Amino acid sequence: MRVSMPTIFNNIQTQLQRLVEDLQHTNATIATGRKYQQISDNPLEVGALIGLDRDSTQITQYQRNLDTAYDWLAATETTLTNINQLVSSTAALAEQMATGTYTAQQRAAAAQQVQQYLEEFMQMGNTRYQGHYLLSGYKIDTEPFAEQAFAIQPPQMQAGSTNTASSSGAYTGTESVTYMVEIVAAGATGAATYRVSEDGGQTWSATNTTAVGPLAIGSDGVQVSFGAASNWSAGERFTISVYQPITYQGDNNTLDLAIGRGTTMQVSQVGSEVVGGAGGGNDLFQIMAQLKSNLEANNAGEVGKRLEELRDYQAHLTAVIAGQGAALNRVEIKQNAYDTIQEEVTQSIAKKGDTDLVEAANAMASKQLAYQAALQASTMVMNLSLLNYL
Amino acid sequence: MSGILGLMDIAKRALAANQLGVEVTGNNISNVNTPGYSRQRAIFETSPALPMPYGPLGYGVRVSGIERAFDPLVAARLDQNTSMLADYQARKADLDQVASLFNETRDGGLSQLLSEFWDAWSDLANNPTGSGERQTLLGQAQTLADAFSFRADQLVQARNDITMRIGPIIEEINTHAARIAQLNGEIQAIETPEHHANDLRDERQSELNQLSELIGIRYYTTGDGTINVTLANGASLVQSMDSYSLRYEITPGDTVAVIWQGPGGTEEDVTSGLNGGELSAHIAVRDTLIPQFQNDLDSLAQELIAGVNTLHSQGVGLEMLTTATSSYFVDSTAAPLQNNPSLAFGDRILAPGQFTVHVEDGSGGTAATVINITSTTSLADLAAALDAVPNLNAAIVTNGSENRLQITAASGYSFGVSADTSNVLMALGVNNFFTGDNAWSLGVNNALVSDPDLIAAGQIDTLSGAHPQGDNRTALALVELENQTVTGLGGLTFEDAYRQLVTDIGLEAEEAGNKQDFYQGLVDQFTELRDSVSGVSLDDELTNLIRFQRAYQAAAQMISVADEMLQALLGIKE
Repeated sequence: MRVSMPTIFNNIQTQLQRLVEDLQHTNATIATGRKYQQISDNPLEVGALIGLDRDSTQITQYQRNLDTAYDWLAATETTLTNINQLVSSTAALAEQMATGTYTAQQRAAAAQQVQQYLEEFMQMGNTRYQGHYLLSGYKIDTEPFAEQAFAIQPPQMQAGSTNTASSSGAYTGTESVTYMVEIVAAGATGAATYRVSEDGGQTWSATNTTAVGPLAIGSDGVQVSFGAASNWSAGERFTISVYQPITYQGDNNTLDLAIGRGTTMQVSQVGSEVVGGAGGGNDLFQIMAQLKSNLEANNAGEVGKRLEELRDYQAHLTAVIAGQGAALNRVEIKQNAYDTIQEEVTQSIAKKGDTDLVEAANAMASKQLAYQAALQASTMVMNLSLLNYL
Repeated sequence: MSGILGLMDIAKRALAANQLGVEVTGNNISNVNTPGYSRQRAIFETSPALPMPYGPLGYGVRVSGIERAFDPLVAARLDQNTSMLADYQARKADLDQVASLFNETRDGGLSQLLSEFWDAWSDLANNPTGSGERQTLLGQAQTLADAFSFRADQLVQARNDITMRIGPIIEEINTHAARIAQLNGEIQAIETPEHHANDLRDERQSELNQLSELIGIRYYTTGDGTINVTLANGASLVQSMDSYSLRYEITPGDTVAVIWQGPGGTEEDVTSGLNGGELSAHIAVRDTLIPQFQNDLDSLAQELIAGVNTLHSQGVGLEMLTTATSSYFVDSTAAPLQNNPSLAFGDRILAPGQFTVHVEDGSGGTAATVINITSTTSLADLAAALDAVPNLNAAIVTNGSENRLQITAASGYSFGVSADTSNVLMALGVNNFFTGDNAWSLGVNNALVSDPDLIAAGQIDTLSGAHPQGDNRTALALVELENQTVTGLGGLTFEDAYRQLVTDIGLEAEEAGNKQDFYQGLVDQFTELRDSVSGVSLDDELTNLIRFQRAYQAAAQMISVADEMLQALLGIKE
C-alpha cells in the first residue's frame, strides 16, 4: 500500500496517544490502589464489588450488634450469678434455722439477716447497664423491682388445722412484723380466748376472747377476724405477717438484637421470670418475705418448707444462667464466624477491586518500555526524508 | 512545422508541461497537511503527431488536465463510519457524565450511604433511647436523601445540557447542507467534461465528512457533478443546488423531535429515522437512556420511602405525638383515598383495613379506638372518624388544591397509632420518616428533625396502649428491610436494585466505549486507505520535483541545441 505523509504522522500520533492512555490508566490504578476508576471500566465487577462492600459493611454492623449483645448477656449473667450466690447463702441460713436447736432470738436475728438479703436481691435485680435496667423488659427506664407499701398478709394457719381467720386493717408501723396468735382456752369463736406475741413467742399480750371481730392486735392498726365456724383447740397458733412486698414493675418483653440476616437474638431476661415480684412458683421475693415471717414467728417447720422452695428456685435460676452462658457462647461462635467471613469478603474485595501492585508495576514497566521504544522509532521515522539526501 | 523551429516548438511545449508539473508538485507539497486535500497530478500526453512523408512524427508533450487522486467508494465508507464514530463518541461522553454520578468505585457512593442508613437503624435498635443514635440516624437519613436528590437533580441537569447542545448542532447541519448546495452550484458552473474543479470537490467532500459527524447521511453523485444528500430515512437534505433545513422542538412528552422542512412548506418528523452522528446520540441519551435511569432511581426512592414509612408510621418514639400533619395531599376531600391519583402512595392503600389510634393523658391513662378504612373512605371521612375520638381533634388543612390531614391531641393529651393494616397512614404520610415521592423530593420528616425523640424505634401495644422506652421492634423491622426483597423493584433488595442500576449505566457506557473503539478502528483504517490514494507523500513529490526539474533542464538543452543548429545554418552564408 502507498504510504502518504498523513498516514505516517497520524499513525505516530494515534499510537503514542494509545500508549499514553494505557500508561495513565496503569498509573491511576497504582496511585489510587483501585483497579477500576469508573463504573464503565468493568460494570459487572464493579457491581460485584458494590455487593461485597455491602456485605462487608453489614457484617461489621452485625459484629457491632454482637458486641452489644455480649455486653447485655454478660451483664445479665453476672447479675444472676451474684443472685445465685446469695441464694446459696440464704439457703444455708435457712437450713440452719430449719433445725429445732435454734432459739427464738437466734431466729429473730436470722430474720434480720434475711431482710438484708432481701434488700440485696432487690438491688442486684435493679442492676443497670449503660443506664438501662437489665431486667425490666422494654421498660428500661423503670426499676424492675420496687418495695410497695406495708401490706398485712393473710393469716398463715397451723398445719392440719381446719379453722379459719382473716386479717385486715391499715398498718401504721415502720418495721416489718409478724404477729403470732395463740389460743389459750379452747372453744368455738366467741368462747375461746387468745393471746398475741410480736417477738416469736417470747413475750405475750394479755389474753382476750375470740370474736368474729375484727379485733385489733398490737398497736399498729392490724386487725384479726376469727372464723365464725371455727372450733379452736388450746395451743393452736397462726401468724399474721406485715411486710413491704416487692413487685415487678417491668413488662414481659425481651430485648432482641439483629445478629444476622433475618436472625435476632434475645439478650435480656424478664425480671419477674428470673427473680420474681409477680407471684407464682419461683418468686424469690415472696419466698424471702415468707422465710422472714417464718423466722419471726420462730416456725422451724415452715422455714424448712421455704428451704425447699429456695432450692427449687435455685434450680430454676441455674437453668437460666446456663442459658445465658450458652447464649454468650453463641455470640462468640457468631463473632468468630463473622471474623472468618469478613476476612474472606475483604480478600474478595481486595482481589476484585484492589490493584495488584506487582502486576501493575510490571505492566507499568513494560508500558514505559513500549512507550520509549515507540518514541524512538517515531523520531527515526519522522527524520527519514528524501530531503536529507538531496 | 518540422525542422529546427519544430524542435524549438517541441522544447517549448516540454518546458511548459514540466513547469506545470513542478507547479502541481509544489501545490501538493504545500498542501501536505491540509485536511481533506487530495493530491493532484498533471496528466501528460503526447501532442498529436505531424504527418510526414515517412510517417507521423511525434510532436512533443501536452498537458490534458489536472486530476485529483480520489476514490469515491473509500470516501463514502469513511463518511459512514465517521458518522457512527461520532455517534458513539457523543454517547460515551454523555454517558460518562451520567456514570460519574454513580461512580461507586469512589467513597461516598449511594450504596455506601444506604448501608450506613441501615447501620444507623441497627445502632438505634441496640440502644432505642440513645439520643446520639437518634441524631446519627437523622444525619445519615439526611445525607442519603441529599444523595438521592443530588443525583436526580444532576440527571435532569444532564438532560438540559444535552438539550442545549441540540440547537447548535442542528444549526451546523443546516449550514453544512447549505454550503454543499452552494458548492454543487459552483462546481457545476466551473467544470467542463474534461476539467474538474478539484479544490471545490475537495471542499465539498470535507463538508460531507463534517456533516456525517453530526448526522447520519447517504449521498450520491449525479451525472452533472453535483451530489445529493439524504438523511438515513430518505428525506432530502441537499438536492442539486437546493438545501432543506432541519429544526427541532420539545414535544409535550419532553422528548426532542427533529423536524425536516421540505420543499413547499412540507414538514416531517424524522427523529425516529436518525441513525448515526452526534445528533442521534444526544437524542438517544436524552430521551431513552437517562429517562430509564431516572425511572430506576425514582422507583428505588419510592420503594425506600414506602418501605420505611410503612413501618415507621405504625411505630412510636420515646414520646407520643401531640400534633401531626400528613405529608401527602389529595385534591378532593370527598374522593376515596384508595387509588386516588393525587395521593402519591394512594395505590398502596389496602381496603378494607384498620388502624388503632391511642390517646394518652398526662398520667398514663390510655384509650384505644379502631379506625376502619374501606375502599370508599375519603379524607373527610377519615378526618371525621379521627375527630370523633375523645380528646383528639382532626381537621383538613387546605392550601390551594392540596388538602392535608392534621391531627392534634387535646391539651394535656398525646396520641399515637398502631397496627395499620390499611397502609393509609403511610399513604397519607402521618408519623412518617421520609417525605417526598421520588428521588428528587426525598427528604426527612421535619417533625423528627426538630424532635428526634419522635423517631419510632418501638411500637404501641394495640391492646394495652403501653409503649415502653426500651422497645426496639420497629427499629429491628427496619433493619431487616435491608435484606428484604421488594416487589416494586423486580424482586430485588434495595441494594441489589441500586447495584443493577449502576451496572446498567456502566454497561451502557462500556458498550458505547467499545463501539467507539470499534468505529475508531474502522475510521482509522478507511482514513489510511483514503490517504494511501489521496494523501501527499513528500518522497513521491520530491522525486517528481526532480523528475520535472531534470526534464525541464533537458528541454532547455533542446532549445540550446536547436539554437546552435540554427546558428550553424546561418553561419554557412558568411
